[in-house]
Amino acid sequence: MIELNHVSKSYNKGKVKAVDDLTLTVRPGEIFGFLGPNGAGKTTTIKMIVGLLRPDAGTITVDGLDIEKDALKCKAITTYVPDYPNVYERLTGLEFLNFIGDVYGVPKAERLDRIGKWLDIFELSGAVANPIQSYSHGMKQKIVLTAALLPAPRVMVLDEPLVGLDPRAAHSLKELMREHCGQGKTLFFSTHIMEVAEKLCDRIGIIDKGRLVACGTMEELKALDRTQQSLEAIFLELTEK
Amino acid sequence: MTRLLALTRAGLRSNFGLSVLRHRLFVVKKDRWLAVLIGAAALGVLPSVYGLILLVQNIYLALKPLGQEHALLTLGVLGGQLFILLFGLYYVISAFYFSRDLEFLIPLPLKPWEVMASKFAVILVNEYLTVMIIVLPVLVGYGVIAKSPFAYWVNGVLVYLFLPVIPLALVSLLVVALMRVVNIGRKKDALILIGSVLLIAVSMGLQYVMGRSSRGEVSGQAMTKFFTSPDSLLNIVGSRFPPSIWASKAIAGGFSASGLLNLALFAGTSLLLFAAILVLAEKLFYRGLVGLSEVSGRRRTLSKAQMSQRVSSGRHAVRAVFAREWRIMNRTPIFLLNGILVVLVVPVVFVLMAKAGSGRGDAGSLLKLMTSANPLFTILAAAAFMVVCGSLNGTSSSTFSREGTQFWISRVIPVSAREQVAAKFLHSYLVSVLGTATASAIAVWLLRLGIMPLLAAAGLSLVAGLFLTSLGMMIDLARPLLDWTNPQKAIKQNLNVLLATFADVGVLTALFFVVRFMVGAKVAAGVVLVLLYLGLAAASAAAYAALVRFAERRYREIEV
Repeated sequence: MIELNHVSKSYNKGKVKAVDDLTLTVRPGEIFGFLGPNGAGKTTTIKMIVGLLRPDAGTITVDGLDIEKDALKCKAITTYVPDYPNVYERLTGLEFLNFIGDVYGVPKAERLDRIGKWLDIFELSGAVANPIQSYSHGMKQKIVLTAALLPAPRVMVLDEPLVGLDPRAAHSLKELMREHCGQGKTLFFSTHIMEVAEKLCDRIGIIDKGRLVACGTMEELKALDRTQQSLEAIFLELTEK
Repeated sequence: MTRLLALTRAGLRSNFGLSVLRHRLFVVKKDRWLAVLIGAAALGVLPSVYGLILLVQNIYLALKPLGQEHALLTLGVLGGQLFILLFGLYYVISAFYFSRDLEFLIPLPLKPWEVMASKFAVILVNEYLTVMIIVLPVLVGYGVIAKSPFAYWVNGVLVYLFLPVIPLALVSLLVVALMRVVNIGRKKDALILIGSVLLIAVSMGLQYVMGRSSRGEVSGQAMTKFFTSPDSLLNIVGSRFPPSIWASKAIAGGFSASGLLNLALFAGTSLLLFAAILVLAEKLFYRGLVGLSEVSGRRRTLSKAQMSQRVSSGRHAVRAVFAREWRIMNRTPIFLLNGILVVLVVPVVFVLMAKAGSGRGDAGSLLKLMTSANPLFTILAAAAFMVVCGSLNGTSSSTFSREGTQFWISRVIPVSAREQVAAKFLHSYLVSVLGTATASAIAVWLLRLGIMPLLAAAGLSLVAGLFLTSLGMMIDLARPLLDWTNPQKAIKQNLNVLLATFADVGVLTALFFVVRFMVGAKVAAGVVLVLLYLGLAAASAAAYAALVRFAERRYREIEV
């Protein structure tokens, strides 16, 4: 579970409000889609959840643990996939996965099982012994996803995870997201692809200019305006200039 | 032409981070302390520059009666040009081939020569700033004492503007040719490394030859001989590298026929060489550049047994982070060149410099003579040598900066700052230990150091290394440079590495005064050593504790 309670974050000494008094709960077993125009505050919110940015105000808890006070415990149950797969290019794919397995304390038997499974699904088995430097953008994205899945985390936070993936890998990822939440775990992800959000998410939050302008199931969002049928239309309406 | 100017302007802005700096200083109003620091450092250099000007004036006064004062100008110009020739290599390779903006520039409708010319201009401006410290004291000192006319200053400025062009063009020709050869096959990194080491070897060879010619003598007579004898270094190099003679004649000659002719020769040669590299750029630049960053990997699926063998059975977090540091440092050519290779090469350079002279002028003998009076001095001199070889590299002071934009990984993994710092400390310290080991071997060979003094000196260097490693890491942690696009910036052009070097020199100077005070107070040699050991050990423990506390705070604060 992820809980954001009156969280704010600004830049330039308060001149630019990136996130403004955001309160939000993502329940266990739920896929939560986070939508918003460019610069709306999605990545800032995500970075605050995983501890890369510090909120100016408010609190964030992951499975009841405060991300400031119990930072290490939170990190041990959360994994994160950034919007750009910026990883250690000089390591091989397997060395990177080993590093992640080591720091998250994944036992060898589970490590072997999971690495084998995800590499097969993402069709990376042939490249895992090569330096990440030799990977394409999509392959880097896949190795980061594999690394994020390796510790079998209770909470996954993904920033635009489908960008750069081929249709087969995107399909596999959506299945994995479902499977992850089917086990009662939590998944929070941002996306610009309305169809994906509409079909995949249990609940959706729309953020605009740092403020949460709508949040709920697809049905609840549609109920906001009876004339609007698609999520895209609702999104455009809510985030109008 | 407009395109070239726009490209150069963008290159300069990006190289010096002008837009970012303006934003940070005047918009966000962050880092103002940095401006103060840079100002203070500039003020700190002033006394040295003034000292250099005084030295120049003294040499001028010695040469004037012999009618050889122009040799001083030749020396200044030659010094600057040789400096660029020897050290411009890193700049040129990284600017031409490893800056990330090239990825955006190649697809633009620009000609290869335009891209190279703009890069060349950026390095040129860098070199104006770098050789300023060597060349300006000579030009200004000479000009002031000789009460030179207006023409001297005009020609001086023109010569200064053309000064880096010839050596830079020569280095560029070499690099462009090298990279054309390197950019083939799969082992590009290895070839780049071998090429760089070869070029370093050439530059060291040059220093060796120069050292031999100067014979390490410093008497007035030797000085006069150095400047006037027809077979002196100056005249030998000057005659084989005529541009420096043209330059000095151009400055000294002012607007006379000889002055203008030599100026035309100097400027003409510079422009000709510049044109030559542009022609070469059109033919070879992109062929060396395109695909350079491509790394091909043979696709091979690991068998179950291979996979099981390679998947680790769970290392402690400190070991995992250490392995990451070790692999990334040693697999990135620029990092390797500035880390382990430095601690292996620097001691060798010292040997070459010391052995360069012959007979009694030998710097090694001089050192032996200086230190033989007191065994304590032998130990301390050897220890200082080991510290310089082991700890004065950029490994610890770039340990956080080297992570760059990948620092996000360190921030999200469930490993405490304390453990991450421990791993980084062990890695940096290992490099320092390697340096101490190489330096020890050299000290035994050069100074014929006995086993006891060797152990005492090496021990002292290792304890000092503990302190300096923590110090370097703290300096980098205070303001890590994480947004680099070219690994060169993380280590070679990182202000933190420079600041840490200043701090290390400061610590060594302070220790020198402490020892001098104790020796003056007739403290027994053994006691001085024990006190140094205890003092450094206590300082190391305190510094490490401070580093861990600082890291726990900074790992929360640094936003990526």
